[in-house]
Amino acid sequence: MLKRDFSFKKITGVTLMLLCFAFALLPIIWALILSFRPTTHLFEPVWESPTAFTLDNFHTLVGSDFPLALLNSLVTAGASTLLALIIGIPAGFALAKGRSQKKFIASWMLLLLRMAPPVGFVIPLFLIYLNVGLLDTWIGLIAAYMVLTLPLVVWSSWTSMAQIPDELIEAALIDGASLYQALVKIIIPAARPGIIATAVLAFLIAWNDFFFALIITRSDTVTAPVAIMNFVSYASVNWGSIALASVVLTLPTIPVIIFANKYIVQSMGGAVKG
Amino acid sequence: MTTVTGVQPLIQKNYQKMLLPAVIAVSVFAILPLFAMFALSLTDYHLIKPWKGEFGFENFIRMANDTKFISSISIMLMLSVLGVIFQVSMGTLIAVGLEKIVPKWRFMRGIFVIPFVVPAIAVALIWLSLFTPTLSPINAFFDIFGVEVPAFLTTQYGAIFAIVVADTWASYPFVMLLILAALQGISGDLDEAASLDGATKMQIFYKITLPLLAPALLMVALFRFIETLKHFPLIFVMTNGGPGRSTQATNYYAYIQTFQSSNVSYGAAIAVFLFLFAAIISFYIARANARISDA
Repeated sequence: MLKRDFSFKKITGVTLMLLCFAFALLPIIWALILSFRPTTHLFEPVWESPTAFTLDNFHTLVGSDFPLALLNSLVTAGASTLLALIIGIPAGFALAKGRSQKKFIASWMLLLLRMAPPVGFVIPLFLIYLNVGLLDTWIGLIAAYMVLTLPLVVWSSWTSMAQIPDELIEAALIDGASLYQALVKIIIPAARPGIIATAVLAFLIAWNDFFFALIITRSDTVTAPVAIMNFVSYASVNWGSIALASVVLTLPTIPVIIFANKYIVQSMGGAVKG
Repeated sequence: MTTVTGVQPLIQKNYQKMLLPAVIAVSVFAILPLFAMFALSLTDYHLIKPWKGEFGFENFIRMANDTKFISSISIMLMLSVLGVIFQVSMGTLIAVGLEKIVPKWRFMRGIFVIPFVVPAIAVALIWLSLFTPTLSPINAFFDIFGVEVPAFLTTQYGAIFAIVVADTWASYPFVMLLILAALQGISGDLDEAASLDGATKMQIFYKITLPLLAPALLMVALFRFIETLKHFPLIFVMTNGGPGRSTQATNYYAYIQTFQSSNVSYGAAIAVFLFLFAAIISFYIARANARISDA
């Protein structure tokens, strides 16, 4: 086993892995390069002027509506995640530990809601919002994001709390705690890794949303993904600013990689037993 | 008075109370809009023309005769089937590779996950830049060897290919993570036993690992299939449905009908079609999932 394996198969395998690695990584490096490349060098190969560098795009971004859009994204994604956690965790707990014949229906409903095409939600929401004046408001967008975040939170707190032994809950209850106290003080901390991963993922889904925000926002509450499109016009495309804005938009999502283990897998659908 | 033993009675008592807020929220935010979508699809509601207050199936009859709608289905299926094949093969290849071929390259794992967290709009814009011939380093690279890379986004199948590539880049990590988890659930004893019996690594992979992975592969493929039916940012940014209508998948067509042509009720009818399509597939996922959980 210790001898080095230089067989044809091994080399093919390693080459394939390196190709996949290049495919995964190079577009990200490209986005970083584009972010700091002067407009004058934009259309010549990178290797002809590798040191060309500028912070122009940064100044463009700061001077545009983009920082405000980032704030809108932060508020709406954050608030909808928080609300979904407050409402969804007790429900996930009840589904995990309660006895009910209707669990299959609940799991199918949750799955269905996550699978349903957003356009199906957006058309009625748009008409309702149009009539009650919720278009282009934080509240309207937060409510719309609940469609994305709540089923996810219920589903994944269900799967992560199912693994907590009943004895732990009993011990808390014997000490005289109410069920809600036990939930907050014992059960949530015990399921913490799963809950944190859920929260991060719910935030990510709302933060990454483009479609809901495109329809529901107009000017005041435009979120960052929609605001990026301001750098694209028929006349010209401001590639540098787009690239930098994309990089900035991706930065808050990086912590998710830390959770890129079984918790994410559980939260993403619990479809496969790890 | 009976003594309460265990946690169950208390949970049963509070069961409905704990579920209620979520049930209300889901009903208001999700179920209500869905019902409204069904109701709208039966009207002739139009943003500009007033609604006469009648219900009927005209929208669905119109769909059956709408060649744009019918071709949108084949475009959607092409994007989904190609996308799923690419993503599942690549995700599985990387997962298996990380476990069996280069297990020592730990640092790779984190980097392989990065595309997964890049927001869809950024994915679309990055790949738009990579498929823009005057800008793209890919074109510049092949120029050195005198090879001209075609402008993918200007031809029908090229544009479909471009969207599939971008989607594959963003979505293979999902497949990879799920398959990695499934691989780690497979006991190493089987491999060892087979290898003692003289099986080669390839034989072990095809005869033992792959069959054991099959349920996970099916699940992840179905999952990704449904997700790819909902393509929006990639089409919106990279092709805008073009060239012509060659990348106008059904979901995008529903958007165009509703928000650009103001045919709200017709858009809703198309959304109903998509919804039923997704509902059938998710039913199979839920059933297969229940079966795996029981096993």
